[in-house]
Amino acid sequence: MSDNDDIKTDGSGPGIVAPDDEVPTWRERKERTTGLSRLTYEYFERARREDQDLRQESSYIERDVLGFPAWPHETVRNLAIGSVFVGMLLFLSATMPPHLGDPANPAVTPEIILPDWYLYWSFGLLQLGPINPDLAILGGEKIMSDELYGVLANVVVVGAIAIVPFLNKGGARRPVEQPFWAAVGVGGVMFAFTTSVLAIDNLLPIDPNITFDLTFLLPLVAAAIAYAVLKTMREGYMYDLNRRYYRLRPPR
Amino acid sequence: MADEFIKGFAILTLGLLVWMMFASWYNTPSFYETQLIAPDPENPGTYDAIAFIVRDAMLTFAILGALTFWVVIPAGRRAREYYAAN
Repeated sequence: MSDNDDIKTDGSGPGIVAPDDEVPTWRERKERTTGLSRLTYEYFERARREDQDLRQESSYIERDVLGFPAWPHETVRNLAIGSVFVGMLLFLSATMPPHLGDPANPAVTPEIILPDWYLYWSFGLLQLGPINPDLAILGGEKIMSDELYGVLANVVVVGAIAIVPFLNKGGARRPVEQPFWAAVGVGGVMFAFTTSVLAIDNLLPIDPNITFDLTFLLPLVAAAIAYAVLKTMREGYMYDLNRRYYRLRPPR
Repeated sequence: MADEFIKGFAILTLGLLVWMMFASWYNTPSFYETQLIAPDPENPGTYDAIAFIVRDAMLTFAILGALTFWVVIPAGRRAREYYAAN
């Protein structure tokens, strides 16, 4: 049999017709695509390669153990670290003058009532009264009071954050690989910031109405910018990735 | 790289710790006003004057030390690599 008569399975040449039970269905062809396996391969191969490069650059002696035993290595190290922090506490408490503030006067209400700064976002969510809709069907009445509306806003936000650990989106990803979810995260951080500002809007030299509008506008703007930037970065990023692994062994 | 980072960080931390101690002694008249950067008290004694010098020296040491290990040394290495390659 000459070379020309070789049976070719790619459809070219004087091929043969495969038996019906060997012809892959369209579903099987779809399932055999290599995109995901290739991406996974590139992902782990890159991590392995970076690790290898770091080891080659490093002047440390390479070790073959996965970790150190808890006693004595880890214990001694932890004692050393703990000693540093205890020493710093003792140093500060021994040298710095203590702050002896004025006694609190329970008979006087403070001028400014605010929680600690890290709870401003929650305090700001309590002030969402202006977007509590008054329904025409109820004759312009509100279906719930502004206070309850603010508390429910807190419930919604905390609930959304509490759901996140149960959304299985795989392992850690780089923002350029998930621009949409990265943009959602940026918008969320921005919303936390703007609601914090809303909580102290009476201390700011800005019109409260503008502050209130910006509270909802700025997160959208920030998310849009983040999405655009990440989406733009992705092409170059994937190009670098492909160029880096072009010569590496392809997946089986 | 990691070594350079922790060296600079240790210098920054220890320098600022000592600076903060002296600044809290001499430049914090009250916790309700300016803290740590208030003007020096007038008519310092000899020991106070020495403490001012140590305080300023530690602040300079912290900033310059961190900059040295985080910026100058890595930049020098990059430059040396670059000129070695060309």
